[in-house]
Amino acid sequence: MKRSLAGRIWPNATAVVLAIGFVFPVYWMFNTAFKPTQDIVTEEPVWFPFHGTFEHFVTAVHAPNFWTLAGNSVLVTVLAVGLSLLIALCGSFAIARMRFKGRKSFLLTFMVAQMAPWEVMVISIYMIVRDADMLNSLVPLTFFYMLMVLPFTLLTLRGYVAAVPKELEESAMVDGCSRRQAFVKVVFPLLAPGLMATSLFGFITAWNEFPLVLVLNKEPAQGTLPLWLSQFQSQFGDDWGATMAAASIFAIPILVLFLFLQRKAVGGLTSGAVKG
Amino acid sequence: MKRGLITATAVAGMLVSVAACGSSDTKKASADGFKGQKLTVWVMSGSNPEQWTKQVSEQFTKKTGATVDFKVQQWNGIQQKLSTALSEDTPPDIVEIGNTQTASYAKAGALADLGDLKKEIGGDWNDAFNKAAMADGKQYALPWYAGNRVVMYNKKIWAEAGLKDTPKTRTELFKAFDTIKQKTDAEPLYLPGQNWYFFDGLTIGTGADLVKKDGDKWVSNLGDPKVSKAMDIYKQYQAFSTAPKNKDEATPQQAEVFAKGKTGAVIAMGYEAKTAIAANPKIKDDIGFFTIPGESADKPEGVFLGGSNFAVAGMGKKQDLAKEFLKIALSKENDGQMVKEVGWTPKSPDLAAAAKENPAAEAAAPAAAKSGGTTPLIPQWAAVENVPNPIKNYMTAVLNGKAPADAAKDIESEINSRLAKQ
Amino acid sequence: MAVQLDDAVGKSAPRIGKGGAPPARSGSGSRRIARGAPYLLLLPAVAATAVFLGWPMVRNILLSFQNLNMKELIQHLTEWRGIGNYQEVLGSEQFWRVTLRTIVFTAVNVTLIMLFGVLIGLLLARLGKKMRLTLSVALVLAWAMPVIAATTVFQWLFDSRYGVVNWVLDKLGWHSMAGYDWVGTQLSTFFVITVLIVWQSLPFVALNLYAATTTIPKELYEAARMDGAGTWKVFTSVTFPFLKPFFLATTFLEVIWVFKAFPQIFAINQGGPDRLTETLPVYAFTEGVGNLHFGMGAAISLLTIVVLLAMTAYYLRLTLKQEEDEL
Repeated sequence: MKRSLAGRIWPNATAVVLAIGFVFPVYWMFNTAFKPTQDIVTEEPVWFPFHGTFEHFVTAVHAPNFWTLAGNSVLVTVLAVGLSLLIALCGSFAIARMRFKGRKSFLLTFMVAQMAPWEVMVISIYMIVRDADMLNSLVPLTFFYMLMVLPFTLLTLRGYVAAVPKELEESAMVDGCSRRQAFVKVVFPLLAPGLMATSLFGFITAWNEFPLVLVLNKEPAQGTLPLWLSQFQSQFGDDWGATMAAASIFAIPILVLFLFLQRKAVGGLTSGAVKG
Repeated sequence: MKRGLITATAVAGMLVSVAACGSSDTKKASADGFKGQKLTVWVMSGSNPEQWTKQVSEQFTKKTGATVDFKVQQWNGIQQKLSTALSEDTPPDIVEIGNTQTASYAKAGALADLGDLKKEIGGDWNDAFNKAAMADGKQYALPWYAGNRVVMYNKKIWAEAGLKDTPKTRTELFKAFDTIKQKTDAEPLYLPGQNWYFFDGLTIGTGADLVKKDGDKWVSNLGDPKVSKAMDIYKQYQAFSTAPKNKDEATPQQAEVFAKGKTGAVIAMGYEAKTAIAANPKIKDDIGFFTIPGESADKPEGVFLGGSNFAVAGMGKKQDLAKEFLKIALSKENDGQMVKEVGWTPKSPDLAAAAKENPAAEAAAPAAAKSGGTTPLIPQWAAVENVPNPIKNYMTAVLNGKAPADAAKDIESEINSRLAKQ
Repeated sequence: MAVQLDDAVGKSAPRIGKGGAPPARSGSGSRRIARGAPYLLLLPAVAATAVFLGWPMVRNILLSFQNLNMKELIQHLTEWRGIGNYQEVLGSEQFWRVTLRTIVFTAVNVTLIMLFGVLIGLLLARLGKKMRLTLSVALVLAWAMPVIAATTVFQWLFDSRYGVVNWVLDKLGWHSMAGYDWVGTQLSTFFVITVLIVWQSLPFVALNLYAATTTIPKELYEAARMDGAGTWKVFTSVTFPFLKPFFLATTFLEVIWVFKAFPQIFAINQGGPDRLTETLPVYAFTEGVGNLHFGMGAAISLLTIVVLLAMTAYYLRLTLKQEEDEL
């Protein structure tokens, strides 16, 4: 079974090249953010920020309303994802576990809902929110973000629910639990990794959304971070240093969340799968 | 598109009313009960210089008792933002709008009629100046600032070539370029093939119209011999440059090319000097400006006047207060501040003193006063300049050897279809 | 992200591990649940979808029959136009060109993503523990990079004058690439966009595929190896059949995501040069929101959904059929 030397080297060599390829853009973002301006625009790239500076971060963070927008972004994203998980969990349980009329139509609806052209629907959403006198509020924004991620969340959770062995639930019920109790005590803990994994998609979608917040919330204090991120590019040439610093700040929460959740999610998933 | 917005504006004319903001009505206005109100003014990022903003805010509060809230808007997505904002019950009270945009916003019924205010503070503004703030013969905006292109040259290179005086005619200019070419290793002029606003200036110089009426429709007039003549002049200029024929002045930023110190001159806006200095601080002392010379010494080359207007939102609830603001913001003193602080072209001879403090503004003034013009002032025109601008393709085609009339024919249908959509 | 994985688990596991006992059988065990229960559970999801997606969608459909430009928007006017918008769009050569371009673009990207995603996933399975962790972290970092940040960085990497890509190509001896304008032609712009999209999408496929392979019973592999099967044979006879639901579900999602890719294309060059890199969503946006012909944009966006439905019809039908078998 022993592989030849070459057979052992090439997978590792490929992996190293790939790892560099995937990390490089992320690295370059941080690298540029830390470099003084004269090191950014150079004929020879400066590979390491030896003369590191925080000036770009200071510029980025000192832009008006940064902390307010950051707070709004966190609030809207967390609420949108939380709500969609809750709603989707109920729905996915029904679709994965129950037999009822119209089940397939529901399924189809959610599959097609994933295709909604949100960028263009911005204008009809705007008119609805405007006519309801709800502009410059985080409430409509939260609900629309929730819906942007709901179909995916529901369909994904359906898979997780289906993967939880039916027998576990049934034996719990035999032991005298109600179906609801069985769900809360037995099924839910098994679903936790699935919920985490699914939430990642939601976080990244809601965190990034730009076209809708642009027209719905024009009051500077009601905006979200993507609006802030776009301001370092101007008509007189872009401030790359500040843009990259802002992009770094913008990316960090998601990067950390991914690194944290991803391990649990994949780990939980595989262990769940073995039981299947 | 961002750059398009700022430059795709057309302001012409040079006078600001001397009666702009007499101290006599100061007391009257403050009795009007504006006290404690807040006026929202949308300005584009980079438009309102610090000192100007400070003094306008102070004067406004002093006069009316109200405060002004400048909301700086980012370029990204501004069109969506502005058009939706103007449809709301509480729109921003005053908005900055680029001039080609002004006509279409006015036609959409978004802006208040400022005819009376114009009479009061701008009674002697000349027509060319005002045209870009009007639609259908009505005054829908007031011009705020405007600029036009000048020759930004490298004094060191010109000295090296033995050139002492700045050229007064086009022939002298081309001769100077020739001298630089022969005596130095610098590129005499950096001019890419698609500097569309410079070309627009040349068409103004030859008296060409880019569109004409066909029945009740506007159609392309690019085949006109006067347009061909302007394109021919452009070609003569471009022959001195090795810049790419299929690029515009922003890719790469021509100021950054200039900053390397190996370029004799560029056709540039005054503020581009800042970009050059940022790229290479050492270039600072070598930068000089002069008016783009025309065919004869008494009339400078035609130039496109790009800038912004202030408009009052039609749905705004504080229109009287907004007008008070405009009286102050467009006063001679504050207009002078825009010239001094940014280098915008002075709007009236009265502002010459302010222009003295800014060499780019000083060089820009003569051309603006004598041969400034705009793009066609019809609401449909903005669509023609939307990316991709077909006229840029026309320019590249001619520079690559196509006859101007043939090149014009190639893009006629594209332009006409854009003009046909409202 | 784990849908596919679970689909794979949920569907293939019973088939192989449980001798085909479908989960549906257990429906009988829930007699105590009232008939209305599933509807009650689905109510929040359906209600939310109806309000926050259905309503705007109906509004969007109405708009597509209207002449809605800046004037009508600002003055709150409603001007019906019948099927005029559709006639204009369907009658324009550009729409069909963009549609074809979008299909090709989606096909190329999805193919690349699936191909390399699978290869990297299989590579992960082969690596040692440390190396696997390294590559996984790299993948996760790329994956987690917010789209807006990623597009900004890519613009910077491919900058014609100060971009690292041109510098490297120049140093590698390809001197004509110094100062190369990546967004100057249709093909090179698409190249940058494709690199960006593939870079962003590979981690999803690779990591999920790796996770899915760990669910394949070891005995199957051993049996195949015993029969003397090579790497390729093992893949086609064991991995692929076992993970077929995974492949289908992932391809479906990638088709939707690539087809709908908007910020990537728009940020790199606004659909330029000369509108030659516009895909349907960008086209709809430029015509509708960009040029302020909202009615027209709405019509295009609805036609876009039709195209997307056609492209995914196979999978939709398949899924519905499977559901039938299961319940």
